[in-house]
Amino acid sequence: MPTTSSPSTNRFSSDLILDRLESPDSEIKLKAIREVKNQIIGNRTKKLSYIKLGVVPAVAAILAEAEADSDGGSNLIVQSAAVLGSFACGVDSGVRAVLDAGAFPHLIRLLSNVNEKVVDAAARSIRMIYQSKLAPKYDFFQDENMKFLLSLLNSENENLTGLGASIIVHSCETNAEQNVLCHAGTLEKLISLLEGSLSQRDASLESVATIIKNNPEAVSKFVGSESGKDLSSVIELTKDRYPRTRLLACMCLIRVRNTSSCYLQDIGIKIKLVHIFLELLDDPGQVGDEASFALSSLIAGKEDLQKLAFEADAFDKLYSHLQKGPLHPKRLEGILLAIGDLCSKLESCRSRFLSLKVLNMVIDALTHDSANVRSAACICIRCVSRSIKSLSAGHFMNEKIVVPLVQLLCDLSASVQVASLRAISNIVVDFLPHKSTFIRCGGVKELVQLIKSMDSTIRLNALWALRNLIFLADKICKQGVFMELTASSFASLICDPEPSVQEQALALVRNLIDGCVDSVEYVMAEDALILDAVGRQLQNVSKDEIGIQGMYVFSNVASGNEFHKEAVMQQLLSQTDNQMHSFMIKFLRSNNSNLRTAAIWVLINITFPSSPGAFSRVVKLRSTGVVSQIKSMVNDPCMDVKLRVRTALGQFMTFGAGSM
Amino acid sequence: MPVRVAESSTASQVSGANSGQTSPLVCTLLSAGQAFSGTQNVSSLQKDEAWRVNVRIQGCDFEHGYLCGTMEALNVPMADTPVVTFWEGEIVDIKNYTFFTGKWEATPEDDIRHWTKFPSFSPLSSQVEVDGGKFLDLSNYSCIFMRWKEQYFVNVGADCGLTIAGFYYVCFSCSDGSINGYYYDPNSSPFQKLELKSTNEGRSGFSFSSYELQ
Repeated sequence: MPTTSSPSTNRFSSDLILDRLESPDSEIKLKAIREVKNQIIGNRTKKLSYIKLGVVPAVAAILAEAEADSDGGSNLIVQSAAVLGSFACGVDSGVRAVLDAGAFPHLIRLLSNVNEKVVDAAARSIRMIYQSKLAPKYDFFQDENMKFLLSLLNSENENLTGLGASIIVHSCETNAEQNVLCHAGTLEKLISLLEGSLSQRDASLESVATIIKNNPEAVSKFVGSESGKDLSSVIELTKDRYPRTRLLACMCLIRVRNTSSCYLQDIGIKIKLVHIFLELLDDPGQVGDEASFALSSLIAGKEDLQKLAFEADAFDKLYSHLQKGPLHPKRLEGILLAIGDLCSKLESCRSRFLSLKVLNMVIDALTHDSANVRSAACICIRCVSRSIKSLSAGHFMNEKIVVPLVQLLCDLSASVQVASLRAISNIVVDFLPHKSTFIRCGGVKELVQLIKSMDSTIRLNALWALRNLIFLADKICKQGVFMELTASSFASLICDPEPSVQEQALALVRNLIDGCVDSVEYVMAEDALILDAVGRQLQNVSKDEIGIQGMYVFSNVASGNEFHKEAVMQQLLSQTDNQMHSFMIKFLRSNNSNLRTAAIWVLINITFPSSPGAFSRVVKLRSTGVVSQIKSMVNDPCMDVKLRVRTALGQFMTFGAGSM
Repeated sequence: MPVRVAESSTASQVSGANSGQTSPLVCTLLSAGQAFSGTQNVSSLQKDEAWRVNVRIQGCDFEHGYLCGTMEALNVPMADTPVVTFWEGEIVDIKNYTFFTGKWEATPEDDIRHWTKFPSFSPLSSQVEVDGGKFLDLSNYSCIFMRWKEQYFVNVGADCGLTIAGFYYVCFSCSDGSINGYYYDPNSSPFQKLELKSTNEGRSGFSFSSYELQ
């Protein structure tokens, strides 16, 4: 076995390696392949330099050309398959090079070889490839493929069953794929492998978790099988001596409980899972890296579990790992996400976050080389900044946080951009007069640019951030946003093809014209361009939330002066040819009490007693059927609606319309 | 609103009952962004005095019986500028919080003594005295009862000579958005009355803004 060589010898040997791999002498070839194999094992730098040198196609050619029947040939195949697998292990460019060199079909072909060593080597190599997202997707719907997969799972050969499981983990994504695998009997086969070797057990656990993920049918098949014996076996494996087995068994149980709320909900198992993950965090390898992701999937969106985890000192434990930096990017990403999930609902956890000064470490991660880490840092900040108490204390609106977040709005990764936008949309709620910090950092200009994005998720989140920024903002801030965005952009965003964008655009306008009464003029600019757009949009709303935001825009306009009230009245009347189908009547009859409330506020404001034109507007409302509709709502089941109806009727009566 | 430290003291702690299920209360006049203004009577034996007060709701989570906001005291004698405090509120919805405080040095007797000062409480009084009102359904009640507890000073230091040790018993009218409250702190003048009205900030009607955290 070669040992370390001096740099000069190394360069010499690298330059010649291609010649030796292409040598007609199979002994020289074999020696060269072994040399490559030994040099690249666990050495990412070496792998990359050999990939660049063109070693992968040369090895793939040996694999394709060697005769498996002869001893020499089979040896070449075994070694070259091992080298290709090693190139594909953990390096995406290696996987790409192996696939581009056309080695994949040859490796598949070798699985049917009579020589067991050849089969093992090919299976191990393909398994490495299937660990990468770049591996070709396996089509489970083709009968031939399913037969082949079952033959792998039914094999006595551990490497082949392992490969079968890897294919499932890699390629099974949809419910339809999960169902076709279930119906073909793969679940039963995988469960039987739980009693196999360590590698079979782990592969089986991972595949079962893949097949049952978000699929209640598959979960009940799994849990119901053998009267819950299989589930008990998995629970038993959470105590296994091998950390990876414990992790995978726990992941399987999380998939069961996250998919079907009727299983594994008792507090005992919840506490147990939390403790196992916290213990696995100490593993220095891949298991430790994955433990925080697993913890996230257990607690995400579940306040009771977040509480249990917090009480089990999860926060402090994650924080102590964070302090051990520099961490592997994967581990750092997982820890940031887990901290974010812990803080997403619990104020006590957010307070702990701030008291331990974790924020500085998260801010550092905003500029990390890895896009996944940057994104996780944004998600963490978003979760922690869900605290109104902290926002009110101004903990987040400062240049140390805002500057890197605004810079991430131009990140090359769209997911980082979205994560940054979502964090910003919380931070800008800031209740102190600090919103100018964000404007000073160029934040508004960036948001306005992103609002023009073709990507509706970016458009939506950029608008969301602006809407929150404008909430209770001062005159200067509002003016800055209006000038930057312009009335015509507001109007076109209100009519955006995406309903969620329409909703945020209307909410933004609503906030823009709240506060000082002069701000109502924004919607009257350019011949009431924005107000007209709102009116047009309300005639055909695709979801209640759009109607609610639109009605509050009208309500806020109608709380302005006489001219504003008349403008809203015109919007209500402009589409009443078919009175009973006007949006006002439709909204007042909605099943959604928030929409009914919003609609009544418009009526209260346009008939506000102190306004001179209120009487004539009440008369017009009566003729459009609105007054009688309101009268029919005096016993509305929603208290808020009932009280607003009383106010509206009281105002109508002032002008003698209440009894009409 | 911060107050000056004064006479009298009582103390004890009793846990409030917490059971029963009701649908969450909702009132648009008590939503984030809404502003209120009025006075707090801080009279003592020596002197009649009222401070002007502005309140702004910053967050509402009816599902969890939580709301919060700021309180600005305008003509505080010992302060150069208006004093702003951040407060958090517990909404008495029986599900999350009952009429019994169970903390902040308030005994059930203190609770009853303060709640009975609100005329809207009288229909509920007997039931609350029997079992804490744990079977009451307040979702269709036109008033919302709350406790507001100031948490920190926003614009002045904690050493400003004022205290926020106590808390407010609050009754909010869903009909017109008016707020009545009584400040309770065993070390301050008893029954300091807070009276606020919904403000429309120069508008001829009501205006509403909103934000949504992600």
